[in-house]
Amino acid sequence: MNWTCEQTELLLTDYLDGLLSAAEHHEFDAHVNSCPRCTPLVSSVTHALATLHALPQIDPSSRLVYNILDKTLGPRETVTGWAAVRAWLRSVNPQRLAYGSVSLCAMFLTFASFTSFSWKKPRIADLAPAKVYQGADRQAHLVYARGTKFVSDLRVVYEIQSRLQREDQLQNNQDSTTPQTSPDKNPGTTDAAPASPKQQNRANDLVSRSLVLAAACPACSEGRIQ
Amino acid sequence: MEQDVQLVQQCLQGDGSAWEELVRQHNRRVFNICYRFTGNRTEAEDLTQDVFLRIYRTLASYRSAHGGFATWMTSVTRNLLIDHYRRTKRDRATDSLDDAMPVVENKESSAKRPDEQALLGELSGQVQSALTKLSPELREAVILRDLQQLEYGEIQRVLAVPEGTVKSRINRGRIELARILQQMGVRPS
Repeated sequence: MNWTCEQTELLLTDYLDGLLSAAEHHEFDAHVNSCPRCTPLVSSVTHALATLHALPQIDPSSRLVYNILDKTLGPRETVTGWAAVRAWLRSVNPQRLAYGSVSLCAMFLTFASFTSFSWKKPRIADLAPAKVYQGADRQAHLVYARGTKFVSDLRVVYEIQSRLQREDQLQNNQDSTTPQTSPDKNPGTTDAAPASPKQQNRANDLVSRSLVLAAACPACSEGRIQ
Repeated sequence: MEQDVQLVQQCLQGDGSAWEELVRQHNRRVFNICYRFTGNRTEAEDLTQDVFLRIYRTLASYRSAHGGFATWMTSVTRNLLIDHYRRTKRDRATDSLDDAMPVVENKESSAKRPDEQALLGELSGQVQSALTKLSPELREAVILRDLQQLEYGEIQRVLAVPEGTVKSRINRGRIELARILQQMGVRPS
């Protein structure tokens, strides 16, 4: 069977909706893959369809329902008392109501624990503004004092630790800086690295002066310059 | 579906709360059909009110044996949209003259409210704009099939045309929409 571009265009919706038979589907694919006109057509329609399916549902304004009800049932009567509360609850989103209630309870619990309200012996008098203020003030001071004490304790511990570390470090440094005499060490030179010419000259000068001094006063210099 | 039929029965017996329930359940769907057809929020809300007014008045003519309440309601919506389209044809003819104006003026005249733009997003706005450029018979077919996900049989009942015509309109509508989107520079990535 020779599949044509007209057939592709005609059966595009059936193809996209999966309504073609297996043989037709195969022919369709084979034609589209080799036809320079149908490839972009199928691609663009597939894309348009995907974009259409991704379009969001739009929410109408909340007053639309009331406008419709007013137009059909007539203006609503003013509802008071429990009926009004029930009507309000019906209009409230239950999920939001649940979230709101939970957060309100959490806030109340936090507030109550921050004041001096006792859950074991709850009293209405404890909820008086002055009492609440006193309790909150006391709690705030307590928290501040505990915080200050905690910080100062930390500081003491840190100081002790740093002192101990410093002492350990000093001890280690002393051990590592004890001079080690080497038998073939020349005067004016070090074990670590060769001295610069200027340092070497100064050392040689000192040695020569010491030798002069030793020659002048052999008794006092004996045993020091060897 | 059975719940809808029950609510309709209660409405016919004068139960206001049943009617309220029906309105609450279906207003979003009717509004979306109207919005996608007109591309204008205010117009869509007015049309939604008119649809429910008509449904309220003709509720007694609904027969559950002929199909679901949602299909019947969609059919009423479609008829009202077509009436509205014909009524406002003259206004659109004036608009099409405006369309021939230079590009800058065109952009200003077709600019939507900022909240609408934010609501739709750029791509959604372009698709909505492309939808409103389709002829009404192709537009309604595409909206019912690809946005409202109706089956061919339901669309056939709503549009009152044979299934072959429904398929043909959906096919042509999709191809035309893809062509318009391409002209607008919206291309497959």
